[in-house]
Amino acid sequence: MPVIEVDGLTKSYDDKTVVDDMSFSVEEGEIFAILGPNGAGKTTTVESIAGLRTPDSGRIEVFGFDPLVDRAEVRSRLGVQLQESRFQDRVKVREVVETFASFYREPLDVATLLERLGLGDKADTRYSRLSGGQQQRVSIAVALVGRPQAVILDELTTGLDPQARRESWGLVEELRDSGVTVVLVTHFMEEAERLADRLALIDEGRLVALDTPRGLVDSIGLEQRLRFTTTATIEDTWLTALSDVSGVTRSGDEIVVAGNERMLFSVVSLLADHEIAPDWLQVDQTTLDDAFVAITGRQLESAEEIS
Amino acid sequence: MTAIVALARTQSKVFLREPLAVFFGLVFPALILVVIGLVFPGATEPNADLGGRSLVEIYAPVSIVLGLATVALSLLPTTLGGDREKGILRRLSTTPVHPRTLVAAHLVVQLVVVSLATVAAILIGMLAFGVPFPESPGWFLVSYTLGAVALLSVGLLIGAVVPTAASGQAVGMLLYLPLLFFAGVYIPLQVMPESVRTVSSYTPSGAAVQALSASWAGEVPQTSSLLVLAAYGLVFGLLAIWAFRWD
Repeated sequence: MPVIEVDGLTKSYDDKTVVDDMSFSVEEGEIFAILGPNGAGKTTTVESIAGLRTPDSGRIEVFGFDPLVDRAEVRSRLGVQLQESRFQDRVKVREVVETFASFYREPLDVATLLERLGLGDKADTRYSRLSGGQQQRVSIAVALVGRPQAVILDELTTGLDPQARRESWGLVEELRDSGVTVVLVTHFMEEAERLADRLALIDEGRLVALDTPRGLVDSIGLEQRLRFTTTATIEDTWLTALSDVSGVTRSGDEIVVAGNERMLFSVVSLLADHEIAPDWLQVDQTTLDDAFVAITGRQLESAEEIS
Repeated sequence: MTAIVALARTQSKVFLREPLAVFFGLVFPALILVVIGLVFPGATEPNADLGGRSLVEIYAPVSIVLGLATVALSLLPTTLGGDREKGILRRLSTTPVHPRTLVAAHLVVQLVVVSLATVAAILIGMLAFGVPFPESPGWFLVSYTLGAVALLSVGLLIGAVVPTAASGQAVGMLLYLPLLFFAGVYIPLQVMPESVRTVSSYTPSGAAVQALSASWAGEVPQTSSLLVLAAYGLVFGLLAIWAFRWD
């Protein structure tokens, strides 16, 4: 039985359809990423799962319960880390987590949880004096303290520095390994690629693809690209004669070879036969971003977000 | 430990770490009495212009309403606006505990705070300036409870809808300053023109001062004062419950 089932979820605000006929299911024990640009409807989707939004139509089941009807059943099993959720400045870390622990029947031991999240020495620190990464971990602690069977993590690493982001990724993998089902909402391609067992690609409120990260990249059938430079003379015809190569272009000194997944090996063998050593060589990996562009015709991450 | 006990415990700790809140919530009413008793010549002497009471006696109930108004119109809306701004109410909506439990915890903590401030003001009045203990304790308690409910309900309605702590503070202040005027904080009700006193008797702060003053002097408060307070509590309380924004 899937942990979360979404079937035909639709939600509009002021005549604008934010989520449009969305269907997917999350299986037990996986990291399920919901990936899409800002404003794609990711948050509305997970807030509907958490029972914070009332769908216009469609059916949602969490552990077989309706989040709007069986509120207590869903809330005691599902931990939620909301986007942009903070706590009072003057409350201490231990106090926040202990307070939330009191809401559940069998909460985790707070001291152990804080230790595991690397907050052991911050237990008596006020919330406002924590770094962004530490505040984010408090938020995770609050989502986990009730011993949930599944958690929703919405934009877990937005606003974190690269170091803190990688630490958070480690935590998510630990969670999955301890048997908790994770729904990870993100607009970072790299995050979904690195963590997700399966991912739902969302654009303008619609589910545009649902697959493993590898499967998604393979499914669009993009060619591999090899770029290299060399001072030796190479005829294009040497390369185009290879059956695995589909095209050769030159830009300045750079030679760009396109082809299938065996192209790299063929080209390198060819160069070796001619005793040519490239000065510089690079293989362009097909990424989820490429997949997103191929499917929707638009970039996943806008230039502004990358900076 | 049940959720409301845990929330109230945490919120009282948070309150005690906020120096401004502690000053205005706990100390302010007693301090006002001290200032008036020490600064104004003859403040502890019976004064014919004030109906034979001393200035400190006049200000004792006023200082209590000042404390109530400060907590209800400044602390409460700011706290609730802050909870909404920080996403704490929404966050609670994802747990088995409804966010109204947090609102209840705030009300409990703030009612305890303002009641301690009230006791402090009564004690300072008695010990330092010869103000008697309220002579109709039962009616005093009724007046105080209705006054607290009325003012906290007004503050709760503001806190029910403001999106941020700053907007809670701003809207609260808009009501706070005129309500202090009608409570006789700036000039005693006794020397105000009859028309202003009539308006004052229909405000929650003015009605509370009248009811508290009467019971302090051993009289039965006017039914109209108590009804005005009850009406504010009922109407604003229900409006707050109806209008409360949980996200």
